[in-house]
Amino acid sequence: MTVGPVDRDDATAEFFDGTAAGRLLLRRCEHGHYSEPAVTQCTTCASLSLQWSPAGGSASLVSWAITWSKEDEPTVLVIAELDEGPWWWSQLTGADPAQLAVGARLRVAFARPDEEHEAVPVFELAG
Amino acid sequence: MTEFGKLYGRTPAQFAADAVRRAVADAGLTLPDVDGLLTSSGMSGGFSINLQQDLGLQDLRLLTHMQAFGATAGSMVQYAAMAVQAGMASVVACVFADSPLRPERRSGSIYGTRRAGTGWWGLLGATGIVGANPMYALAARRHMELYGTTSEQLGHIAVAQRAWACLNPAAQMREPITLADHQASRWIVEPFHLLDCCLVSNGGIAVLVTTADRAADLAQPPVHVLGWAQSHRGRNLRRDPDFGLVTGAAQAGPAALEMAGVHLGEIDVAELYDCYTFTVLVTLEDYGFCPKGEGGPYVASGVLGPGGKLRLNTGGGQLSGYYMWGMTPLSEAVIQARGQGGDRQAQAHDIVLVSGNGGVLDHHATLVLGSSDAA
Repeated sequence: MTVGPVDRDDATAEFFDGTAAGRLLLRRCEHGHYSEPAVTQCTTCASLSLQWSPAGGSASLVSWAITWSKEDEPTVLVIAELDEGPWWWSQLTGADPAQLAVGARLRVAFARPDEEHEAVPVFELAG
Repeated sequence: MTEFGKLYGRTPAQFAADAVRRAVADAGLTLPDVDGLLTSSGMSGGFSINLQQDLGLQDLRLLTHMQAFGATAGSMVQYAAMAVQAGMASVVACVFADSPLRPERRSGSIYGTRRAGTGWWGLLGATGIVGANPMYALAARRHMELYGTTSEQLGHIAVAQRAWACLNPAAQMREPITLADHQASRWIVEPFHLLDCCLVSNGGIAVLVTTADRAADLAQPPVHVLGWAQSHRGRNLRRDPDFGLVTGAAQAGPAALEMAGVHLGEIDVAELYDCYTFTVLVTLEDYGFCPKGEGGPYVASGVLGPGGKLRLNTGGGQLSGYYMWGMTPLSEAVIQARGQGGDRQAQAHDIVLVSGNGGVLDHHATLVLGSSDAA
């Protein structure tokens, strides 16, 4: 299964501008704390002074699960911990679930279902 | 309680009103005796505080609609208890109802659909993480990886609760299952098999909360609300080192027991929220029935089921009984505390522990209930 379609709204416009350019944008406060992009205040210090800041793209595997359905191939879903700190819930592509272990190094990639919809961050095994 | 299951053609509001009428009649009261109403609707929505007018209730002294997902029912009892203690109301009806099942609709489609989404939630859905199944599966996998918990161990919970359900005339699933059946049932989201997942039900349940003095004169044996607590973690989808490992039960459980002045060893019956088998396992750990991380060996040790020493989810729970969110454990707790459990009645039933869990292990409500002999 590839990613499904998602459309931007006002809150996600800059984020999807980022994914279109191959960048995973996080929110960063003046103290250097990174937060998930949906937040409106820093998850560490409650600062309201947040800037968009690209993640390096490296992450570690926190957990995974495998969806099975009659219609689609099995999909590996993951929680990844970005090296900047925030967690990211997405799918893992091109990996054999039997080879997965907590802490496995991951690399962000971007996928889109078609040209009409936004690019979605996904993960691949690094290296 | 109404009937449960694939009952079509009735709206959530009709189930809710029916549940309140039945609870009022069960208590030996009439509708005008109700002067407080707390409402909670499920996935299908369909009613809110307008239920007041459906029931012809006038001049209520307390009315609100509540939402803490699976923790709502336990929370409603807490607010109702405080309201009657404060003299704000004398008889508060707390009701949940839902009717998501349709004849043409698969139950699995109700709690997770895959369509073009928008914004942050659309982004999550586009990855295939839709509904509770994958989120709880990700939680369970963390527990399995850190503590070695296995699917077979989770299966012991499913098998035991089905055995209890076989003794419950109100349960939807009353065919016994084996551990092999659990292992052979299809994957929903690995590591969850079908038999790790709750049912989907149409129906409604209401409970009435009043003062102990008033309850003593009513038609049913009173059930006392001895202790309560909530915990709301506030870390949904955020970085959370405890995700899947520790839940709000770890905070709310000890607080509720302390309020009730009882120890865990004095609990006669436990009715724990079971959207998945895993939820039961992690709640047992967090409440302290076994040390953290040892829930797997504990549930596989023979303590579960009608023959075990632990009186746990004695009506079959939401896995095999009926899926009424937090009202499922609460209703069975009331039945047990009253001593009205028939073939599944626990001999000792003075102290009953009830949990509610909502969101993805985000919200927790604990109640400690006491039989008429316990107060």
